[in-house]
Amino acid sequence: MTTIDKPIMIIGAGIAGVHAAETLRNEGYEGRIVLVDRDTQLPYDRPPLSKEFMLGESSETDISLRSVESLTALRIELKLGVRIVSIDAEKQIAISSDGEIMEWGKLLLTTGSSLRKLQVNGSDLEGIHYLKTLSDAIAIRQKLDGIQQIVIVGAGFIGAELASSFKRLGKEVTVLEHAPLPLARILGDEMGDYFLQLHQSEGVHVITEDSVVQFDGTNQVEKALTKKGRVIPCQAVIVGIGVIPNTFLSDKGLHVDRGYIVNEFGETSLPNVYAAGDCAMWPFRGTNIHIEHWDHAVNHGKCVAKNMLGGDSNAYTTIPYFWSDQYDHRLQYFGHTKNWEATVLRGNMVDKQFTHFYLNASGVVEAALLVNQPKNALAVRRLIKQQQPVDPDLLSNPEVNLKKVHIQAKEDKVSN
Amino acid sequence: MINQAGSLQLGDSKYTFVATSDSVEEGEMIEVTVGKETLVVARVHGSVHAVDGICSHAYSELVDGELEDHCLYCPLHFACFDIRDGSVVEGPADEPLSVYSVIELDGFIWVKG
Repeated sequence: MTTIDKPIMIIGAGIAGVHAAETLRNEGYEGRIVLVDRDTQLPYDRPPLSKEFMLGESSETDISLRSVESLTALRIELKLGVRIVSIDAEKQIAISSDGEIMEWGKLLLTTGSSLRKLQVNGSDLEGIHYLKTLSDAIAIRQKLDGIQQIVIVGAGFIGAELASSFKRLGKEVTVLEHAPLPLARILGDEMGDYFLQLHQSEGVHVITEDSVVQFDGTNQVEKALTKKGRVIPCQAVIVGIGVIPNTFLSDKGLHVDRGYIVNEFGETSLPNVYAAGDCAMWPFRGTNIHIEHWDHAVNHGKCVAKNMLGGDSNAYTTIPYFWSDQYDHRLQYFGHTKNWEATVLRGNMVDKQFTHFYLNASGVVEAALLVNQPKNALAVRRLIKQQQPVDPDLLSNPEVNLKKVHIQAKEDKVSN
Repeated sequence: MINQAGSLQLGDSKYTFVATSDSVEEGEMIEVTVGKETLVVARVHGSVHAVDGICSHAYSELVDGELEDHCLYCPLHFACFDIRDGSVVEGPADEPLSVYSVIELDGFIWVKG
């Protein structure tokens, strides 16, 4: 194992950063680990913010990621409220906004992502919210009692989860989406239509192919005006229109696209500088992709940390995964695909229990969406990992074990 | 002593009938309820074990996960627990599962509680 005299510095104490720090120590690294974050709050888990936390079912303590004690026990030096403004890979230093120069032997960037902002007239009115941080969630929750009509801009996962939470709290919810169907870019038209109908059946008003052009109100937002001339009365607006990676730290020779570009080991284009989680763009099956989800941040952070110590021994091949809870639906999505050739449905959409597979031209399952079928989760993940062509007829038949749907496996069985 | 409510009193401990032996096959698990608690009852290498049925990390029913030898995998975030002592084998969970004492007798499975 490499010993480094200068500390390992991690910039960003989100999911990826915290897991990386813990992994470094658990893997036997004895040197200093400095974990800095511009936020002043202790690291916490974000997924519950739009769900359990918003519904008041979980508290700040429940969503805390790690206690000061547990980090101290691992001798992780957590520096909160420290904003790093520049890095220099040659001198191996980072400089904070108050001028402190911090040395590092190896550097891990886990700077996360920021929300895309809506730039329209009236965006600065009271009552227009974004949901990324705990303070955002607290601000929204505190105002909910006095609010009846809420507009959600963007029918993505955050928008859908919030619509579900607000509906359960008895609010009147309008979701505004510029695309013809929600989630269709990721899940396809058929699923987009399914989730559109789900919102509608739960009493949420969904407007598609339209977008906000202005918010009106004196101090407080009172209505949202759309491109197609709609006027939607509301007392609160939540904007969820996607994220952009935080790549504000740059240095000569650091390659950045939609995120810091890293190889399969998490190394950036600069020596001793690594990146993981939301802020990184990494190679998955030959294409550089970016994933802004909890599971990826955990696994990428851990894997890259091991490589920082072990000299690139551990290529990152984890199948991307995320989940989402909306109304009475638990969604789980495995894999990554944009240009699938065919889809296969296993189960029944009417029963709200099915798995929707996305296949490439060779009949290999590239991704799958599970709706209320957690029992299939681990089998589906294996299936995607194996990268072998499947027989769509077997795949679509719920009676056939998911371990026995490969074309290859079937022939083996016959020849045996 | 077995009373009519399906419980078994052994010294100071009360055991609740949860399943017949043939309903928990080798390498398989079932979900049962004891009082207000949801439990998973599984058989590994012949022995029956009982642990919390809800993952200690986030709400997810462990019976929907997978059992591989003594490792119980959660289907939501893939935490892994040792079914014998409830310990965390792999995160994200950091709290162990509670373990419940089990008695298997004459084709019946009883869980303490």
